[in-house]
Amino acid sequence: MHWPLTSLLTLAWRNLWRNYRRTLIMLLAIALGVWAMIVMSALMRGMTDQMVRNGLATLPGEAQIHHPDFRLDPSVVNHMSMPAGNLLAQLNSAPITAWAARLRVPAVLASEYASRGVTVLGVDPVQEAALGSLPETLLEGRMLASPDDRGILLGASLARRLDTGLGKRIVLMSQDTENNVADRGVRVVGVYRARLQGDEERFAYVGRGALQELLGLEQEVTEIAVSAADYRAVDAWLPALRASAGPGLEVLGWTELHTFLGTMLAVQEGFVLVFMVVVFLVLSFGLINTLVMAVFERTRELGLMQALGMRPALILSQVLLESLQLLALGLLAGNGLALATLLPLRDGVDISAVAEGMEMMEMGTTLYPLLAVNDMLLSTAVVLTLGLLASLLPAWRASRLDPVRALARH
Amino acid sequence: MLRTLFVTPLCLLAFALPAAALDADSIVRQAIDHYRGQSSRADMTMTIHRPDWERSMRMQAWTAGDEKTLVRVTEPRKDAGNATLSVDGNMWTFSPSINRVIKVPSSMMGQNWMGSDFSNKDVSKDADIVSQYDHTLLATEEQDGHRVWVIQSVPHEEAAVVWGREVLRIRDDWVLLEQQFWSQDGELVKTLRALAIEEMAGRPVATVMRMAKTAATEEYTELRTHAVEFDLELADSLFTLSSLRNPRQ
Repeated sequence: MHWPLTSLLTLAWRNLWRNYRRTLIMLLAIALGVWAMIVMSALMRGMTDQMVRNGLATLPGEAQIHHPDFRLDPSVVNHMSMPAGNLLAQLNSAPITAWAARLRVPAVLASEYASRGVTVLGVDPVQEAALGSLPETLLEGRMLASPDDRGILLGASLARRLDTGLGKRIVLMSQDTENNVADRGVRVVGVYRARLQGDEERFAYVGRGALQELLGLEQEVTEIAVSAADYRAVDAWLPALRASAGPGLEVLGWTELHTFLGTMLAVQEGFVLVFMVVVFLVLSFGLINTLVMAVFERTRELGLMQALGMRPALILSQVLLESLQLLALGLLAGNGLALATLLPLRDGVDISAVAEGMEMMEMGTTLYPLLAVNDMLLSTAVVLTLGLLASLLPAWRASRLDPVRALARH
Repeated sequence: MLRTLFVTPLCLLAFALPAAALDADSIVRQAIDHYRGQSSRADMTMTIHRPDWERSMRMQAWTAGDEKTLVRVTEPRKDAGNATLSVDGNMWTFSPSINRVIKVPSSMMGQNWMGSDFSNKDVSKDADIVSQYDHTLLATEEQDGHRVWVIQSVPHEEAAVVWGREVLRIRDDWVLLEQQFWSQDGELVKTLRALAIEEMAGRPVATVMRMAKTAATEEYTELRTHAVEFDLELADSLFTLSSLRNPRQ
């Protein structure tokens, strides 16, 4: 059968602009719908991405190694030795980019006026810097200089609550491996600002060697944090790490260590699609209505074309092409609009007005929209597929007209 | 102002009396020994005063050396039997109502002891002042016919002490008249004061001592000693967990 595509396209295009007001309104609706799909998913993606990144920066790492009992009882009693042999070789080989052996113990910091329970991290500053787990902003003083640094790095918020500050001494109290009280005066050498206020109050940093000495340890640590840059590709290297760590240690990826974040990421992927489909379902009623009206207005004309020998299949494709052109224009406009909205927002949206609420979800005060090409393609696919499906009904009806009756209509 | 007040006599002393530091050390040592004895047993009442309420507890306390303390509440009845044992910086409490010995975790050492203005740490480490500080004699004063030494005690860099410095006023018969706790900003945070001094068991004893915060004068804890014995034979078994649970005296 001869398929006069060019003529069909021309026909469809001209039909589209016969009632240009209606077409423009429909275009606007589609464009806004597409814009909403893309912008919303970019914001959501930016939010989850940031939640995961923030979560992993404080976790820290994408995988961690512990004594098997440490996660249930995070006490220094459940310590392990520094990595050696196979494990050390594995940690130093690709794709692992950074690792840090650290001591994580519950402790109390006391000043003249107050005392607060915190998690004290005994760290090697060089290893932690590679891992990116040290606080980003230093307000006053200095970072820890070495694992044997005898000072302490406090969060600004914690320093305020303790009514202490740079250069002052506070008392660090914890328990040693025999469950005896271990305490020592430490001088505040630096005050940091974290993205989340909660982290400022939760974590204080001291030198690993200095903490080991206080707790009666030799070279032991309680945690090894491992990172390989991309948090989505952990499964590629985790089994090898687990094998090299041996059965005496627990090696877990971040989705298991921080199940909330893992679930969050999985749910978000599905939610983007659901959101797009819902937006389009609302749109499709308008689309169907427009096409039904267009066909209804042209009943006589369609009858005439059939009487002149145009096949029903061609009429069907002509209506579908008209719908396709409408959708394509809407998609173009919508994508353009979305890009125009998102590009200026690349450097983040200030959401400090709702920061307190967002902090519960481990969010900072700035939201960075994350535009994924996948989301744009997905929205295009959703709009085209569902749009053409929705147009099938009016197109089918147009192609099934009886020419005699259609021509007799006034 | 305060700083200059303290620094000036300090400098003078440093030049005038090279042996002053040593003296200050032994004065403090003497005062603590005087207060605790080689061993001691005391019967006392602790009164916790707040603007809107006040309560008192009668208790017995035993000490041996610098590191062993046992305190047991005898009155009122609902608190009777509550006891605290401190050995070598560790601390345990026993409460008959739950019939359990609980080790005070390090996280709670900074918290107050039985609701008073003393912290758990004050109770378990009150002899630390001798070894964990550098003592300097600031001045010698006359008061009620006694000589009174004013001693400044600055904690060692890594001592587990939050204070910037403490100022002790010790009378020449080794009674601790006053202990001031200064913050690192040079602010007086709280003061322990002897309000009454009596002769007991052959030596002068501060029978009423009051710990008060500078910022809240209506909040204080008072320790009133009714009877005290010094340097008696105390069995080692007294300072054990089983004795904490089952009083044998």
